[in-house]
Amino acid sequence: MRHALEIAAAVRSGRLSALGVVEQCLADLAHEAPPLVAVTRILSERARVEAAEVDAMLAAGRDPGPLAGVPYGVKDLFAVAGLPNDAGSTLYAAAPPETRDAEAIARLRGAGAVLVATLNMDEFAYGFATINARHGTTRNPHDLERLAGGSSGGSAAVVAAGLLPFSLGSDTNGSIRVPASLTGLYGLKPGHGDLPMGGVFPFAESFDDIGPFALTAADMACIWQVLSGRAAVDHGAPLRVARLGGRFTQNVDPDLTAALDEIAPGAPTIELPDIARARSAAFVITAYEGGHLHKDALARDPLAFDPATRDRLFAGALLPDALYERAQAFRAAFKEKVRGLTADFDILLAPATPCVAPLVADPRIKIDGALSPARADLGIHSQPISFTGLPALAVPLRRPGKLPLGVQLIGRPHGEAALFRFAAMLETRGLAGVSAPAAGLGGLRSKKGAFRGEMTS
Amino acid sequence: MKLPFSLDPFLVILVAVVGGASLLPVRGAAAEWTGIAADLGIVLLFFLHGAKLSREAIMSGIAKLRLHGLVFGSTYVLFPLIGLAMGWALAGHIDALLLSGLLFLTLLPSTVQSSIAFTAIAGGDVAAAVCSASISNMLGIFITPLLVGLFMNLGGGGEVSTLEAAKSIAMQLLLPFVVGHLMRPLIGGFVARHKTLVQRVDRGSILLVVYSAFSAAVVNGLWTRVGALDLALLLLLSAVVLAIVMGVNVLVARLAGLAREDAIVLLFCGSKKSLASGVPMAGALFPAAQVGMIVLPLMIFHQLQLFVCAVLANRYKKAMEEAALPGGATDAVPVENAITLPRNEADIAARAAALDMVVPEACMPGLIANMTLLERHARTLLEPQADPAT
Repeated sequence: MRHALEIAAAVRSGRLSALGVVEQCLADLAHEAPPLVAVTRILSERARVEAAEVDAMLAAGRDPGPLAGVPYGVKDLFAVAGLPNDAGSTLYAAAPPETRDAEAIARLRGAGAVLVATLNMDEFAYGFATINARHGTTRNPHDLERLAGGSSGGSAAVVAAGLLPFSLGSDTNGSIRVPASLTGLYGLKPGHGDLPMGGVFPFAESFDDIGPFALTAADMACIWQVLSGRAAVDHGAPLRVARLGGRFTQNVDPDLTAALDEIAPGAPTIELPDIARARSAAFVITAYEGGHLHKDALARDPLAFDPATRDRLFAGALLPDALYERAQAFRAAFKEKVRGLTADFDILLAPATPCVAPLVADPRIKIDGALSPARADLGIHSQPISFTGLPALAVPLRRPGKLPLGVQLIGRPHGEAALFRFAAMLETRGLAGVSAPAAGLGGLRSKKGAFRGEMTS
Repeated sequence: MKLPFSLDPFLVILVAVVGGASLLPVRGAAAEWTGIAADLGIVLLFFLHGAKLSREAIMSGIAKLRLHGLVFGSTYVLFPLIGLAMGWALAGHIDALLLSGLLFLTLLPSTVQSSIAFTAIAGGDVAAAVCSASISNMLGIFITPLLVGLFMNLGGGGEVSTLEAAKSIAMQLLLPFVVGHLMRPLIGGFVARHKTLVQRVDRGSILLVVYSAFSAAVVNGLWTRVGALDLALLLLLSAVVLAIVMGVNVLVARLAGLAREDAIVLLFCGSKKSLASGVPMAGALFPAAQVGMIVLPLMIFHQLQLFVCAVLANRYKKAMEEAALPGGATDAVPVENAITLPRNEADIAARAAALDMVVPEACMPGLIANMTLLERHARTLLEPQADPAT
């Protein structure tokens, strides 16, 4: 198996059959995924049907689309026809089955992609750790003793392990960018509201977005085009790059700082105002919206929730309306201010996470000199960006043999194309790219030798 | 099962001494000598009070002026008002001397040791408690006799004139206290090093006063005037006084927006009356024959307050431990004007109930921890900050 565009090219040219690709993928998932605790359901029958459709279209001389025969998985909060959409909870495990696929799945199917699995997450997407009471804690393929990050941890782990070429997650405060950074993948949080949310279990609607995890910048661009229904139009003009200063330079792994120096030497630094307040406002809005979304269920049967998310949601449900209104008012003013300050730049650079993946046995990270729960604070650099609604792409630093780390490329409104181009430039310069899990780190390594997700062309 | 409180061992001895005085009251010439010894005991007591008073301790907790004002108000305004109201309402229904004793106890200063101990157990601001209780105790030397002079018919039968009362206050309370405090540079170290010895002298003096007072009272027919019913009534009235004071203090703390650690100081320092000050003061202020009756309500109140405060302090402690947070959960403090986040168990349960939700016990510790985290974010959000970009 190779990266998504390679598979699609092979299937479209007839060198591989979609069914063959899917059978291999299903076998790999069955054998190699269990140590990751990343897969919640393998959809074998459905995958075979979809793959057969692709092969049939090709046989009939029709084009199945740019992702022909490419297998993928979705986070446990996308509606899949015939299955309950439980958002990783026990509470909705017995909910009535969905009658239709989420809009994003429908669009991917229309482009020839084949859904093979649903993937683990923090219950209701509330956390940066993927510690789930029902399904277990997702492991990082680079070191099984470490977290994969969250809340879309399952989606990240399977792609980083080379078991799927891409997957979908959701990002409210960093739930794609954080696991992408910790597992060494490309992960996109689109401009807020840009990608279809139909059939996605909500969390905090002010910030909820969906996005892909991918192995290359080109894969990411292609999947984004399929999902958004738009072409990644880029005029090729020189990109104006700046670095975010202030709070984004604190609580940062020195390797990340060095990488940012190398990526954009001499780039001006922009200081965004009130970052601490922005993060706090995001925290309040998320808690309030999440709490109110689940208020009735909390009133009915609070003990059915995962204890780790239950008390957070409960607290959010008790927040005063006036506080929420103040947070939203601050957000409106903040967005305006940030857009004014960043108007002259196409790319803003910031770290994606403060550090490498924390240990499962000690899920804490150091923030401002004190240990704090990874579940709440891994998103310290991603949460303020969600607050602006701007698109942000997590890009993996190329550092084979080391635990992964990622940077965020933050774009202008509808500026995704510039993000993809800049990421591709970093790949060409050898600064960015997916690295295989190193055996010495206790990670998951393919039994077949070479890391199958690695770029081979 | 271990009781959440224990009987004060000193009180047991005190009751034994009262029993001894009832069975073997000292009479005649021996009574005179005992009276003189008791007077000397009072002098010694206040001398030691003066020597123990640490100005540094007072200064270290003085910053919270509003809190000390509230404690002072509770001790010297709220309590006396309740005492006066009871005296007015119960006049004619209860023995006049016992009623005087009830009023007397409401005029007394706060205790030092037990106020501080309970504040510490409950996780309150100990420095503020030390300061508040010490100030209350020191000012009591002036204020209590003043209030007694204002509200009580000193001497009852006119045996003791106001002038004589003032003289005995000056000689037995004030002078020894001031001398003791002035000698603190010389004997302060000794007093601090020999706490047990000092405490024994303290308590011995109190027992001597009590023995002397009750002997005189028994000779004057104390137990023919006071029966079991009167004692039960005193217990009930003490409970009423304590309940009103504590209720008002909790309410005031909430209205004033006191932080949890300060609300605890107000509750424990503001609701106490000092046996250690009250007994010798009664000895100095009232005729020997009346002192026994006067201090009886104080003795009953003293045990009741220890019992109630022990239970409350342990409840506060438990709530704090359950919150599992450094410093513990605090009462709701407005983040900004109308925006208040519920942070303690009661407020969280009330807020949930208002939203038709019930908080299961299993959720409460996590909920308190999350509300604390959210309050920190709410403060960051709402507090004005320097804006580096403008």
